[in-house]
Amino acid sequence: MVVKNVNHRLIKQALTIRTVEEKFLLLFSEGKLNGTVHTCVGQEFSALAFAGQLKKQDFVFSNHRCHGHYIAFTGDTRGLLAELMGKASGTCGGIGSSQHLCNNNFFSNGIQGGIVPVAAGYALGNKLKKNDAIGVVYIGDGTLGEGTLYETMNIISKWQIPLLIVCENNFYAQSTPQSVNLAGDIRARATAFGIDTFKGHTSQPGQLMEDASRAIDYVRSQSKPAFFLVETFRINPHSKGDDDRDPDEIQSYRNRDFLNIFKKEQESYYNNYAAAIQKEIDDMVEQITTEPEQPLAGYYEQIANTNSNQWKQLQPVNKRQVELLNLFFKEAITANDTMVFLGEDILSPYGGAFKVAKDLSDIAPEKVFSTPISESAIVGISNGLALNGFKPFAEIMFGDFVTLAFDQLINHASKFHHIYNKKVNCPVVVRTPMGGRRGYGPTHSQTLDKFLVGIDNIKTIVLNTFFDPGIIYKQIYTELHPVIVIENKTDYGKKILHHQAVNFLYQTNDDAYPVVKVRPAAALPSLTIVAYGGMADLVNNLLEAIFVATDLIPELIVPSIISELPVEIILQSVQVTGRLVVIEEGSSFAGIGAELIAQVVEKAEDKIITKRIAALPVPIPSVQSLELAVLPGAERIIEEIKIHFL
Amino acid sequence: MPVLQQIKVPLVSVNDTSLTVVDILFAHGAAVKKGDDLLVLETSKTTYDVVAEADGFIGYDCIKDEDYAVNEVIAHIYSDVAEVPIEHTIKKKKTEITREQILAFDGETIFSTAALALMQVNDISKTAFAGKDFVSKAMVEELLGIAHTGIALNKTKGRYFARQDISVDVSKVSVQKLSKNKKREIDYLSSVQSTGLTSTIYTYVDTAGIFLHINQSMRFLKNALLPAIIYETARLLLKYKLLNAYFAGDAIALYKEVNIGFAIDIDKGLKVVKVQNATAQSLTEIEDSIMALSNKYLDDTLHVDDLTDISFTITDLSAETVAFFKPLVNNRNSAILGISSIDKKLNRCTLSLTFDHRVTEGKTAAQFLHELKDRLESYQSKYYPLLNQDINCFKCFKQLKDDLSDVGFSKCITPKGEEAYICQSCFKGF
Repeated sequence: MVVKNVNHRLIKQALTIRTVEEKFLLLFSEGKLNGTVHTCVGQEFSALAFAGQLKKQDFVFSNHRCHGHYIAFTGDTRGLLAELMGKASGTCGGIGSSQHLCNNNFFSNGIQGGIVPVAAGYALGNKLKKNDAIGVVYIGDGTLGEGTLYETMNIISKWQIPLLIVCENNFYAQSTPQSVNLAGDIRARATAFGIDTFKGHTSQPGQLMEDASRAIDYVRSQSKPAFFLVETFRINPHSKGDDDRDPDEIQSYRNRDFLNIFKKEQESYYNNYAAAIQKEIDDMVEQITTEPEQPLAGYYEQIANTNSNQWKQLQPVNKRQVELLNLFFKEAITANDTMVFLGEDILSPYGGAFKVAKDLSDIAPEKVFSTPISESAIVGISNGLALNGFKPFAEIMFGDFVTLAFDQLINHASKFHHIYNKKVNCPVVVRTPMGGRRGYGPTHSQTLDKFLVGIDNIKTIVLNTFFDPGIIYKQIYTELHPVIVIENKTDYGKKILHHQAVNFLYQTNDDAYPVVKVRPAAALPSLTIVAYGGMADLVNNLLEAIFVATDLIPELIVPSIISELPVEIILQSVQVTGRLVVIEEGSSFAGIGAELIAQVVEKAEDKIITKRIAALPVPIPSVQSLELAVLPGAERIIEEIKIHFL
Repeated sequence: MPVLQQIKVPLVSVNDTSLTVVDILFAHGAAVKKGDDLLVLETSKTTYDVVAEADGFIGYDCIKDEDYAVNEVIAHIYSDVAEVPIEHTIKKKKTEITREQILAFDGETIFSTAALALMQVNDISKTAFAGKDFVSKAMVEELLGIAHTGIALNKTKGRYFARQDISVDVSKVSVQKLSKNKKREIDYLSSVQSTGLTSTIYTYVDTAGIFLHINQSMRFLKNALLPAIIYETARLLLKYKLLNAYFAGDAIALYKEVNIGFAIDIDKGLKVVKVQNATAQSLTEIEDSIMALSNKYLDDTLHVDDLTDISFTITDLSAETVAFFKPLVNNRNSAILGISSIDKKLNRCTLSLTFDHRVTEGKTAAQFLHELKDRLESYQSKYYPLLNQDINCFKCFKQLKDDLSDVGFSKCITPKGEEAYICQSCFKGF
């Protein structure tokens, strides 16, 4: 008797998971499920051993194959059924469906590995809260190919973060056998980072439950990470119909499957349980089938972008931008328990490559985290902290490196709120300096803003030298959703409103992210210029020269948010001038200028003449003469305005 | 059914493809009763009240002072107040230019390179621009009275001079709101007339027999004075430059070219269209210009260039049996010429000239009108009295007044020894 030591309650739970998933496959074949399902038939006891043995305040992060984990942790079979059937009563209103579930402290996402640093951040949040809660993150053996996993293992070990990584090894990455893709030893990977490892098999549920419980206790009591390798067999295909495995091999898994053995050895129990569970699930499905789906209005509502038209005079501040930034963070980290600051090289005395974090780790050592060079994990951990109620500020040392964290921005931060049907917010803030003119060359000088403004539901903010950046950061602190802040390397050292062109008035409006307008004192302008970030400072120094050389009286408009452009304000100016030039430091193709001009032209009633001035579409050279030629500089700006408008 | 009535912009007149919402009579979401006026639309001619066809709650999908195309949905009546959508989804179609202007400036003036170059050529001192923050080439040109011919991109909101709220008693009158076109017209005419410094003088032209010559040059516009008047006026304006000018604050702006505008109003609203550089056009070419512009007016294909930079305007009411009238001077003009109807019995036609006294004065205007009268009357055939007699060619019996060769008949003695007349063609046959 293989099965005698296993609790029948556990067996019923496993049978429930299996019955639900087989119901999904049936519904799918009947065309009643939209999309796809990844079943864990054969792997159920892994879900029950970990997710099933956690406490309520603990958490689970899971992946594409998450139904078992979800039922084991939440017991919410109905919510899961309704979710996959696309109903409003589903756990995420039918938005996320199979791969994207959220219920209390349960989260899953369909990206391989990306969820691991998020889980680490959530666990770090618990550690900061000292609430004794821990968590599990499930990965598959296929996820072992993802780099962000190793960034995170390094950090959780170094920072002693109480997170249990459970690797479900079913020996296949989708359809590819492990022998093709995996080198070395799985547990040795964790051991190399100094993480204790455990091992078990789903064909021995009793033993697995005990070992899992031991691992959970270890993580909780030691406040340390652990790595649990669960060997298991997936009886069904990766998804559906994508199984090229040898039927004999699959049959051997079936023969060794615990529930199948139980069925053979204890047939009457099995049949009783199976019939009761089947009926319960069939009844639920029958009821759910008649339910409504969520209407679009419940999911998406267009929010009108309005701008204030109240203008007030700007005043110079005799402090450098970087001093004001540093001042804001020092005050904020003292005043707010939830604020956390992460980044590379930020500890005292260095205080970050551009000194924004100067002295911060002296003031709040427990909330300032100097990270390894791991941009993906920095942003991922910040995402997890944000989900756990913190306000993380992640610093990416150079804007160029933000590409290494793109998955965390696009597939995680920007999506959590919506895919989990607005149950959670992710108020993460990612700060990074961009811009050239310091000779740092092709990979440390770029302005990549156009890649960021294309991410839906993330605000992209750009600092300027016209007013105290603390005003912007105070507003960002109140945001409930992700924000990326682009700072500028050459602006850090400049004083606020240090240069005021004669015969111009410097004004700002009451917007949450204020717009700056530099307008001629008395004359009506005849050229509207829009510039932001580092370019705004450069253009501000050029206003008189532009007039003298081109005979056009310029009015400069500086937005401080570029993911929603102040089109109304620009339109008002353009209605007077009839001419609009947008100057940006990135290259022009599909850039901010293209977007802005499209929006203005869509609304303009009269013909306007438009122009983009931008960097040339080549990597930024290090040699000074070429760098200044590639980036839009004073001479080129004036020349292009002359050629285009006169 | 939650929507009781869907309100679309009606087709009120074939000329109007879009109507303006000039008034919204209820608050968004308010309860309305069948028969209530919901909103007021304006066509180019009149206003139109939209009436509720059911009791319910009004949800507006339009905003005041915006234009909406015929058949566009502009409001709904809902059965339940909860059905009324939130108001902010209504898209504002256009942005008003709101811009407070600072007029006084005491800083240092900045000159553009182009402005400085023009000032140097014309020996203009920088002090001429005291109180300005920026001086561009266009501003120097303005000082020099050079008409700015580029695209006028600097715009200010129409002032609508005559705007004032005069109370009306709706029990005694019905109210028609002014259309945008009308308001624009009022603004245009007010800019000169509102000073009260205009004066009108009249003369008459003896029209007996003048079409004899004029009609020879015309292919379409027979017996019309307008082409000849445009032709002669254009040439006279080269001499009377102050009538081809306008008042520009502390200066008079003199047009460099004579671009004569003539007013047309054939059921599509009053428009003044431009005969470009009329001094360079022959009488036939002027007729062609008039025909071309009239066709463009009727086809709605007038270009902005056809309507701008008009230096002198002529308004022709001769088709309306007008004895005499006082025309009103247009914006950026110093004078306007009016053509009344030809009195067929007296063979005469009144010409009236209204001029801006700030630019010129009565004597100059009178001399201009006198010269114009003389030039027009010079078209008269000297032999006009003879034309009314029965003079026939004794060979072909053609009448003298049918002779279009303008050579005349010869007196002759017939083979029978009688005195008679012979036409040129019969004479040449001998």
